[in-house]
Amino acid sequence: MKRPLPSLPEHRRHRTLQACLLTAGLLVGFDASAAGQDDTAGDEAAAVADAHDWFDLRRQAAPPGNVEAGRTKALLCATCHGPTGAASVAPMIPNVAGQSADYLYWELLEYKRGTLVESPMTVLTADISEEDIRDLASFYAVQTPGAHTVEADAAAPDPELLTRGEHLYRNGDPARGIPACQGCHGADARGPAFAGRTDSRGHAPYAAYPALRSQRDVYLQARLAAFRDGKMRYSTTDFVMTGIGRQFDDDSILALSTWLSSLEP
Amino acid sequence: MHARTCLPHPRLAGLILATVMSGAHAQDSGIGVDLQFGDDLDPAGMVGTGCDVDGASWLMAGRERTPSGFLYDCIPERDSYRQRWQEWYVRGYFGLGYLGVGGDDRDSTWNRYNGFEDGPIFGMRLDMQRPADGSYLDFRASRIDSDSEYYRLVGGRAGQFRLQVFSRGQSNLVSSNVQSLWSNLGSRNLVLKPGLTAGATTQAEVDAFMAGNPVSRVSVTRDKHGLGLSYFLDPRWTAYVNASHERREGSRPFGGPFSFGRLIEVLRPIDDSTSNFNGGLRFAGNDWRMDFSYTGSFFRNGMDHFTYEMPYPTTNNNPVGLFSYEPENDYHRIGANFSRRIRSAWSGEFSLGLALTHMRQDEALVPGLFACSGMLNATISCDNWNTPASLSQRSADLGIDQQRVTAKLVLQPSAAVTWRSQANFLREDYDGNYVAFNPLTGQFGYIGENGAFPNTTWRPGASNNVHIRNLPLDKETREFSSGLDWRLGKRNTLGASYGFTRIERTNREFRVTDDNTLKLTWVNRSNDWLTLRLNYVFLDRSGDDYNFDPYEFMYTHHAPGFVEPANGLAPHTTTALRKYDVGEKRQNKLDLMATFVLPNDMTLYASLRAEDNDHDAQIGRYGYDTLAASVQWEWQPLAGTTISAWYGHDRSGLDMSNTNDVNTGRDPGLGGTAPADGGNAAYPDGYRWWMSDTQRNHTLGANLRHRMGRATLDLDWNWIRAKGITAWVAESTFASPTATVAGLTGAFPDMTYRVNSLSASVHLPVGQRVALRAFGSWERGRVFDWHYAGLDDDRTTGNLIYIDGGPQSYNAHLIGLMMEVKL
Repeated sequence: MKRPLPSLPEHRRHRTLQACLLTAGLLVGFDASAAGQDDTAGDEAAAVADAHDWFDLRRQAAPPGNVEAGRTKALLCATCHGPTGAASVAPMIPNVAGQSADYLYWELLEYKRGTLVESPMTVLTADISEEDIRDLASFYAVQTPGAHTVEADAAAPDPELLTRGEHLYRNGDPARGIPACQGCHGADARGPAFAGRTDSRGHAPYAAYPALRSQRDVYLQARLAAFRDGKMRYSTTDFVMTGIGRQFDDDSILALSTWLSSLEP
Repeated sequence: MHARTCLPHPRLAGLILATVMSGAHAQDSGIGVDLQFGDDLDPAGMVGTGCDVDGASWLMAGRERTPSGFLYDCIPERDSYRQRWQEWYVRGYFGLGYLGVGGDDRDSTWNRYNGFEDGPIFGMRLDMQRPADGSYLDFRASRIDSDSEYYRLVGGRAGQFRLQVFSRGQSNLVSSNVQSLWSNLGSRNLVLKPGLTAGATTQAEVDAFMAGNPVSRVSVTRDKHGLGLSYFLDPRWTAYVNASHERREGSRPFGGPFSFGRLIEVLRPIDDSTSNFNGGLRFAGNDWRMDFSYTGSFFRNGMDHFTYEMPYPTTNNNPVGLFSYEPENDYHRIGANFSRRIRSAWSGEFSLGLALTHMRQDEALVPGLFACSGMLNATISCDNWNTPASLSQRSADLGIDQQRVTAKLVLQPSAAVTWRSQANFLREDYDGNYVAFNPLTGQFGYIGENGAFPNTTWRPGASNNVHIRNLPLDKETREFSSGLDWRLGKRNTLGASYGFTRIERTNREFRVTDDNTLKLTWVNRSNDWLTLRLNYVFLDRSGDDYNFDPYEFMYTHHAPGFVEPANGLAPHTTTALRKYDVGEKRQNKLDLMATFVLPNDMTLYASLRAEDNDHDAQIGRYGYDTLAASVQWEWQPLAGTTISAWYGHDRSGLDMSNTNDVNTGRDPGLGGTAPADGGNAAYPDGYRWWMSDTQRNHTLGANLRHRMGRATLDLDWNWIRAKGITAWVAESTFASPTATVAGLTGAFPDMTYRVNSLSASVHLPVGQRVALRAFGSWERGRVFDWHYAGLDDDRTTGNLIYIDGGPQSYNAHLIGLMMEVKL
């Protein structure tokens, strides 16, 4: 089934219009929402999508891509993320090696739609196709995560900050309404152990929950701040994290990002 | 026995607009002024609300299931807040429409509680929130007509207070097949219509009057208003107060006897009210929960009696009847509940509840005579009986006091075991004695039916056995139960409990009864797709020595000065009678329930229920068995589509026996020989009869709710078929004064109640703010009740006049259109 991208609210349309002008050719025939669905699930997703402008990742699965094709297409990406996505060249650029394929797929789609926070990726994804996104996500998902480079002059993390970050990750902060992060991102921060679990309709609603282990701290801080500030609101996983992110303060974000980035891959 | 009372009315119109929503949405989580509001177009108090297609959680799309395998109710769909007024977010709608009814739309079975009639309808909801301080306001309203409407306002501020105000009217169309003989229905004194003369109208004239007047409808309207306030003193303490007042007005058919075979059904005026009040303090802490409360309920009558004119001549030449109403009464209850969480190796909770209740009625008593003219009993001096001075006391001065203590302990020795124990104590004391004694004459007893009965008074030295005092029914109940739930891994849970109840009563057939109850449960979840539940209950009730006539003390037979008749007194009943409410019995109950969790949010539920009661009685109820089975299927193939279907069947059999009596016999035992045959038995074998009542019910239905873009379609179909058969067997023609040899075995005609109904509704948004709601229903009912057989042709027979012709078959429909505008 071919269907257009869901419409966006008025305040997002202007920027999306620019992206569409740049990539009009690629958008023709683009089939995102129904990808990877059986007919029934596709109908359901379509019915739901009619009512809103966000990705319902509870009902939609990322379609598989071609790893080898992705390897070729990732050559350009290597400039920033490293050859296998395991060696980002700057703290604000995430490591993507070993990341959930579903997570990568929907993230790239959101960049392409212009719904993610403005970044260089917004422009870089404007011209790639949905097939490209599938292939790239599949390629990076099977790569081995690596330790990121620590700058020589970087100070050792504050032990107290590490302790607080670990406590927050493992136990949350019930008094502030912050649940334990490990509940969704896994005890080892490599993603939930139940990522592949399906519901009664065969959907895998947790497949797009990302791994956080050994992620770059500045990148994590930017993302957590975006959730806290309500800037992430175009997928159901955004909604989950927005509710939690609103409870974060700067200290919590710093503690979490510091501890997660300190972990070995 | 009315078959229709055994089954729910399909409530067609209610299903039209609130198809799958349960009444829970209308309910308050705490103590409220009134937990139920709505009307038949909007029974849940929220017109047209469907399921939110976005589901209940961003984590997963599907609906969660209960531990027994059912899908939880869906999240009601609500519009987002569209408007802003100062700091308030506002949403809601205003609906105005028209309802049209047709066919037998005035029939009481179809129109019983809904008040449907041609005319405008109205609905509204206004929902406001102010996030800055957590203030909220929710106003809902629906109106079918002035007798069927509700208005409800809930407002407050999170963490500070909550206020609720409501007003509701509900009609109860008691009968649509009434031939009223009186012109001023609802008034204190019913006066015959022109053309009918009190005490001077013949049966032919009554027949002619009825033939010339169409049947009409009588109804009772309930209007209820309430106010409630909860104030949160701090995060743990809450003070609450609630008050409501309900008034009932109208008329309903009611028996109106005149002595010596003259019976006339009258239309009793209804004008009474109930005021309820409760208030208290509630504490909710981490370990302690407490509640201290007062509850009061006050029943008041607008009239203490009513009179009615009798068209036929009466033997006493006084063609006016009088009935007193139920006495006004007060109810007071103070209670305290404490719960303490147990934080030890055996975690759990201990609860203790204490309550004192006082019920009282002290209305002025009405003398036995109200009219002195033409009394049958010439020995009665009217002046000595038509004044309150003829009573032993001027007011009732009766009450019932209760003391209740409840203790409950729940412990979890391990994660796999839950141990529940409970003990209850309840004492009921009847306060006050009334002895029917006339200080003006020195006589005991009462004047029956305005002096029509000659032998209802007694004085010392006489031999007539007359009922002269009230019946105190003091009772003390002690209960204890304890049981274990044991979870054997993830697949099986076993439960067993034992309960013992001892009830000590005064002036009942058993002084002491003991109930021993054993309950066994098994829950199996061996398969992800199946939850199996099995419950079995065995109850054995035993008592001490059965006293077949504990009420003898209320009669003059036990009064000083009673002279035993030469031939003794006739017994009140036989020694073989066993009252089933307190009598010994054995009961077995079995419930088997299976919930199948099928793919794609599909659920199939099947149940089987059986109950067997053996009352071990020769005279009285000796058997009552039920068997029921049901199948329900629900499927949610798409987020906006729900399909369900169900079938249920139940059957029951009630067996009882009784015996006619020989007036002259003195032996209360069952069997033996009548005096006419040389014996002394009051209840010979040949005077016995048996009755069986069999009920067979079937229900079948289906529902579809489907979202098509922004439009929503609802379809409902309900089919009910109920049949009741009452059959008898008599030992001989002595079993009844009217028994014949040909009629020793027989049955009344089948009582039937068959209803087939179909309803549909479409909600169609037109633009962003306007929506049209079109709905309609069609219902056909086939009703037969042999109690009313033949009354359509002739409502008079001999000295009897029937006013209500009973339920009738009908074919009715409605159609409606409402335009809703979002605020």
